[in-house]
Parts: sequence; C-alpha cells; structure tokens
Amino acid sequence: MTMARYSRLLLRIALGCVFVYAAWLKLKEPWQLFAMAVDAYGLLPQWAVIVVARTLPWAELLLGLLLISGVWLRISSAAASLLLLGFLTMMVRSYVAGMKIDCGCFGSDDPISLRTLARDGGFLAGALALTVLAWRAPCARGSSTTTAASPAQAPDCVRER
Amino acid sequence: MKRTVLALACLLYSAAGGTEAPAKGKAVGSPNAPITIEVFNDFQCPSCKILHEQVLRLLIRDYVVPGKVYLIHHEFPLPSHPYARLAASYAEAAARIGKYQEVADVLFLNQVVWAANGKVDQTVASVLTPAEASKIRAMAKDPGIEAEIQHDVDLGRAKGINQTPTMIVIHRSIPYPISGAVNYDLLRGFLDGRLGK
Repeated sequence: MTMARYSRLLLRIALGCVFVYAAWLKLKEPWQLFAMAVDAYGLLPQWAVIVVARTLPWAELLLGLLLISGVWLRISSAAASLLLLGFLTMMVRSYVAGMKIDCGCFGSDDPISLRTLARDGGFLAGALALTVLAWRAPCARGSSTTTAASPAQAPDCVRER
Repeated sequence: MKRTVLALACLLYSAAGGTEAPAKGKAVGSPNAPITIEVFNDFQCPSCKILHEQVLRLLIRDYVVPGKVYLIHHEFPLPSHPYARLAASYAEAAARIGKYQEVADVLFLNQVVWAANGKVDQTVASVLTPAEASKIRAMAKDPGIEAEIQHDVDLGRAKGINQTPTMIVIHRSIPYPISGAVNYDLLRGFLDGRLGK
C-alpha cells in the first residue's frame, strides 16, 4: 500500500468517525435542541430550520458510513468538504459578528470559539485533502463501477480494501 | 463531555436530596412541577434581555403558572460587563423583599441606558417605593448578597456554563443545556415533547 493509500484510508476512517459521532450526538437528543442551535444562527426561516434539524443528522450519519466503508469515496469526500465548508463559513460569520451561540456541531452546549473554529478548520483541511487524494487515485480500467472480477481488481477510487 | 459532567452533577444533587433550594424569591412556580428550568443570566447581556422579554414571560404564562415548569433564576454576571455584578447585587437584594421579578424586568427594559451610564440604582429605584429602594440599596452592599451571587456563579461553573443566557432544562433528572435567546416555538415543542412522555 502506498503512502497516498495509507493517508486516504486514515483520513476517510477518521472523518467518517467524526461524522458518525456528530450524528449520533444529535440523534440521541430531542431534535428541537438541534433546531434551536440551527435557529440561533439567524439565517433560516423556521420551516427551513425544522427541515435542517430533522434531516442533517441523518445525512451526517450516511456520509460518515460512506466514508468509513469507502463506497463512492470521490462523491462522499467532496460532499463532506462542501458540508464542512458551509459549517465553517457560518461559524466564522457568527463569531465575527460577536454572536454568542452554540455551534451545534456536536450536540448541545458547544459554544462557538476559536477552539471550535480551529477544530472544524482541521476537519475541513482533512476533508479537502481526502477529496484531492480520492480524485487523484487511479480508477482501474477507467471504470467508475464496481464490476471488477475480484476485490483486488476493484477500482480504488471507488472502493478500498 | 460537558453533558456527562452535567448529568453527573445532577445525579449527585439528586443523591444529596434533589435540586438545590434556590435563594428566596428567585424561583417561580411549583417545586413539584415535572420540569425544572434553571436560568443563568447576566443583566448586561443583550441576549439575556431578549430571552427575558421574549421567552421567559411566555414560558411563565404557558408552563410555570399551570404548574408544568419550575423556574429558578441564577445570577451569572460576566467579567466583561462592568455593571453586571452591581445589577445582580440589586436583583439579589430585591429577591429578599419579594421584588425580584419587578427589578429584573426594569433592569432588562432599561439595559441600554444603565449599561452606558452605570446608573443601576436609579433604574431599580424607579419600580420601588422610596422605603424599598433605600432597603435594597443598603442590602446590595451586604457581603451576604455578594456571597450568594458568587455561589450562583460557582454553581454555573460547576455545571459547565461559560456563556449567558444558559437554560438547563431538567426532566427526569436528565439535564438539557440550552444556550442563547432561543426561539419560543422550538422551546415549546421541546417542552411539550418532554411533558408528553
């Protein structure tokens, strides 16, 4: 296994665990707690806050599982990067505006601070690195499907073993 | 992690005989209500003003008065607000003569004014009789009042609080910390969900 493959494996497992953990913390609490955290950003109307609060944790769970399994890695890593970029943008905006609110990243009681910005910035850097590595990885026979005869022949841009 | 610490703190409180008795005049409603909400406020914090004026009033009307929620106020003056501790002293003193709500209301109503000129005494006196104002003025300097404020601050820190306003909703010994000036409709949905269980 090359250095790039080791890095890819490490990054997707780590990021996948982060997404699954974040989803689990939100899903084990009443959804209104996360809705209040989303609402505190003051960006969405109430109906959209409810939609986000009820769907985002499930999306995070799905994304985390995709990253951990390595299925559709190019798509899942790019989606993770976009999602983290969106989160970080909103957090920086709120921090700069002096808003004293929870980030809502890992359940309730997680106020936005330089520490949380650095933490999420680190996640974003990891996701971007993973995206680059995933898109640079060669696809066997130029295929994007998992029709290889054996796991060893499976295109590693799609599934890693 | 903080939730775990908070849950552990609540468990210890329960083991020691339930929620700590609030200072006289700073709790509203029935102690037997199924939900207890502890509010940690700073009179000089703008979000606390919003919470007090737009959420707590409705909460008292809809949940405290019907006996569903027991509301406890705690002082949590932040060091970054120069007059917050003085305002907390007056409110704490007012609680001793049963005027906490009136004093809290007027402090939040005129927050912008006294936060700029420091005239906390004048603001508080506007809702009291001259005798009451004089009594509160003297009591606010009492070291016992300062000790009670510090006790609230220490309690908040022990619960992992680092911003205001923070509400801790306690239902069946499970604490749910909620920070900021929350949307009342969402809070209502959350409380109804707990009460429906």
